[in-house]
Amino acid sequence: MRKLTTALLASLVVTAGASAALAADKTEISVARFFGACEADYGTVTDVTKANGECGIITALINKFNADSKTTVVKPEIVEWPGYDQLTARIRSGEPPVISVMHEAVISDYSSRGLLEPLDDDFAKAGVDVNDMTDAARQGVTKDGKIYAMPFDTHTWLWHINMNLFKQAGLVDSAGKPILPKSTDELMKQAQQFKEKTGKPYFISTLANETAFYTRTFDTLLYQQNVDFFADPNKVNFSSPEAKNALQLLADIFSKDLTTKNQDYAASVSSFAAGEGGVFICGTWLIDTYDQEAKKSGALANGYAVTAFPQIYPGSPRVWADGHSWVLLKQDLTDAQRASAIEFMKFLWDNNYEWSRTGHLPIRKSIINSDQFKNLPHRGDIASLAVNGTALPSAVKRQFSIQEIEGEEVGSAMRGDKPVDQALTDAESRINELLANAK
Amino acid sequence: MAASEHIVGRGIGNKLILFTVVLVAVIWMLPIAWTLLLSFKPNSELMISTASAFHPPYTLKNYADIFQTSGVFRWLWNSAVVSVGVTVGILVLSSLAGYGFARAEFKGRDIIFVLVLLGLAVPEQAVIIARHQMFSDLKMHNTYPAIILPGLSSAFGVFLMTQYFKAIPKDIDEAAMLDNASRFKIFWKVLLPLTIPAQATLGIFSFLGAWNDYLWPLISATKPEMFTITVGMASTQTNFAQSEGLGFLMAQAIFAGLPVFVVYLFFQKYIVRAVAGAAIS
Amino acid sequence: MTDVTLSPGKAVAAVKRPTGASIGPRWSNALFVAPYLVFYVVLLVYPLFKGIWMSMLQSDMFDNTSKYAGMANYHRLFNDKIFIGTVWNTVWFVVMTVPVFVAIGLLLALALNSSDRTAAVLRAIFFGTSVLSVTIVTIIWKMMYMPGNGAIASIFKLLGLEPVAFVTSSSLALVAIAICTIWWIIGLPMMLFLAALQQIPGELYEAAALDNASRWRSFWSITLPSIRRTMLVVVIYEIVAQFQLFGQAQLLTQGGPNNASRPIVLFIYEQGFRSWNLGYAAAASEILFLIMAVAALAQFFVSRKRVEE
Repeated sequence: MRKLTTALLASLVVTAGASAALAADKTEISVARFFGACEADYGTVTDVTKANGECGIITALINKFNADSKTTVVKPEIVEWPGYDQLTARIRSGEPPVISVMHEAVISDYSSRGLLEPLDDDFAKAGVDVNDMTDAARQGVTKDGKIYAMPFDTHTWLWHINMNLFKQAGLVDSAGKPILPKSTDELMKQAQQFKEKTGKPYFISTLANETAFYTRTFDTLLYQQNVDFFADPNKVNFSSPEAKNALQLLADIFSKDLTTKNQDYAASVSSFAAGEGGVFICGTWLIDTYDQEAKKSGALANGYAVTAFPQIYPGSPRVWADGHSWVLLKQDLTDAQRASAIEFMKFLWDNNYEWSRTGHLPIRKSIINSDQFKNLPHRGDIASLAVNGTALPSAVKRQFSIQEIEGEEVGSAMRGDKPVDQALTDAESRINELLANAK
Repeated sequence: MAASEHIVGRGIGNKLILFTVVLVAVIWMLPIAWTLLLSFKPNSELMISTASAFHPPYTLKNYADIFQTSGVFRWLWNSAVVSVGVTVGILVLSSLAGYGFARAEFKGRDIIFVLVLLGLAVPEQAVIIARHQMFSDLKMHNTYPAIILPGLSSAFGVFLMTQYFKAIPKDIDEAAMLDNASRFKIFWKVLLPLTIPAQATLGIFSFLGAWNDYLWPLISATKPEMFTITVGMASTQTNFAQSEGLGFLMAQAIFAGLPVFVVYLFFQKYIVRAVAGAAIS
Repeated sequence: MTDVTLSPGKAVAAVKRPTGASIGPRWSNALFVAPYLVFYVVLLVYPLFKGIWMSMLQSDMFDNTSKYAGMANYHRLFNDKIFIGTVWNTVWFVVMTVPVFVAIGLLLALALNSSDRTAAVLRAIFFGTSVLSVTIVTIIWKMMYMPGNGAIASIFKLLGLEPVAFVTSSSLALVAIAICTIWWIIGLPMMLFLAALQQIPGELYEAAALDNASRWRSFWSITLPSIRRTMLVVVIYEIVAQFQLFGQAQLLTQGGPNNASRPIVLFIYEQGFRSWNLGYAAAASEILFLIMAVAALAQFFVSRKRVEE
């Protein structure tokens, strides 16, 4: 026992010493991020092209940066997704990380309180051409006329499709493309047909343990009907027939057994890979993962397709969107630290193509229009998302809390725990109560 | 012991009871067995289906990976420092205060004792928002003292030690007083050694309580290098970890649970006695 | 504390032996309790009152312009369906778990109250889970409850049954948390009951055996009355402990679905650290304090009554 303790102590001292020595000649900055921990597989990989998936690529990117940079060491700090509760506690404690990943939707909450550093001047100095940012990215990181973050991606909601099951269900056209619904009626009909032919639910959805699916899908269905539910940024409006339609549609999908019902994120991700349903409504970030899966022998073998969220209402093809970005948190930074932080952001900017391999949309026009990007698998099928992705107006406060509340109420109605009208009223009053008390 | 063997150890019911309890114990171990099984499977296979856990290939890679990369070691170390700190602090403060309240009189003592007892009714959660603000204003979060100190305000130890000191016959310290010993000397040399069983009880409860504390470290230790194992394990069970690194996550859970479990097996006898002590006091 | 009355004598004693200890009250004696009192006042009493004050403010985590709002936060709480829901959830959770802790704890103690090796191993198994951190427990139980892929779902399928959706059903989510909680910390009540059982004098049972009393009867007439005090300790301890439910709900269900499993503490945490509504969070924590204080008061009266008996 004592030997073990000694060994443990010794190793701690050694690691502490080693990192101290490193820090002596390079500036260390902490970078808080989610996307998971996978040093086990990618801890030593510095060749980013060899990495796959969100976790692998970000890990390899940071490794490469640390290997290449002569002035900076990035110390990654991996936090729970989405991590804002803890980030809040940490900022309040006065010791925030230097850089943190942040959804563009929540930037304004932090920037409006002076918790983030504006970056316009730094970007200009570092040679980041902000005019090369896509419109979505630029809007996402600009608050009150200032740029508060380095955008990393635009991600949206889309349909991952199991073509093998679609074939079996007779939902593939002569050109080999999936037959997708163009109206709610078609959606229900095709979903029924799918269920009868394959014995499996049409949809796989993440209905347990998180609210992202509900909020993102519901928002999309509202956008498709041209509902502007945050016309007044201080007050949400869900009392429209359109909102009722959308929620009723979700409730019908659930009550008619057209979706998997109780899966959390992990379960839904794996059940799509295992071929337990036809369509997985989820985000851009899984494209690469499933594309790799399609190369193996399994339920997805040679049978993976992806498509923008089909327009099932006559309004518009708009779809929920958000973006990951990197913010610099306000604190007493030395010039060297600030320079290092910008150096790292510039590195991510330069390597934005690598991140877009995950399936996320890049944030630079020059990349999104490049052949290199267009030649990635499936990117042609989702190109429209760059235009159609829609975020909440940035004047809306507390967007993270709002998403949680909205998702909870939509979920209650979809699963039949609450009547549709009741859920819409409750969501509206809870969100408005929150906003009335938010500064 | 003899007493109950009269009940349990007679008749045919005996075997039936044993069988039932063993069956329940097997069910009790199922969750851990399942976790253990998953921890030996490659992540990529589990991403498709956990049913693959029932057949090979199995691997030790998930455990090897912990040694290479995971923050688990650092978190275990933090938990050890915090738990030892809390335990020592509580033992020192409660012993002194327990002696004081039981034996050393001063004006207003009984009123103060009642006020301290009222503290038993204050749950940590009722003061946690204000506490977080206090430590924020002092810029103390993300330090060991910040994680340790709040635990020392608990009135439970003082109550327990006061009861224990009161139960010690007065003749013992009165004899010492006749020898012209100082108060502290009497406390230190004469009475404290008599309270070892109570110290063990309180120590074990304090240690386990601190080791498993979650809410306060969650909002105070927000830098990954200051995470306790409890908070660290919360940070690993993200959606993404579950889908893409399930086996590794399971290995981490097993590994993180192991140290205190081994300690428990070693000291089982004492822990049982300590719990019994708490029940009787 | 009855011997405080001999004031003249101890004054003399103090004069006689200035270096040594004396029986009577002295200011220096307060030094024994002073160190603890510092912690108590600074880290419990002060934050308690600061919290009460905060609960009457409209204040935001990062905004220093909080303003006095009187009872507005409380008023808002009592009209907040979510908060009222959390109170009921918490009470329901306590009602659901405490009797089970008592019943299973006692049954296990009765069955394992023996000095042989099997009993020792079994005791170790049942108590062993209590040393795990809540976050490890939730990882383990996520794997149990996971629909489709989880152990429980697999067992159901094996038996040809439709898997029960524990964490996603509004009627079962709290039950799922209760099951996991009982699995986690059944050890303590079991151990407390074991300790109590071992205090019962063997002669009582011998007498009963002579009377040819059945196992059942000697349980009712000897065992149960002898462990009444422990029973009370277990009940009160578990009530207090289960009212503080947090980690399991935060990690297993996040309070969902439909607010069916959100306990008060999770509400406080979310209001404080997610919605940045410090005053509102503080007000909710005062309500929790009030509920717990009532429980503590009940404990005081019950134990009083016991002493008088």
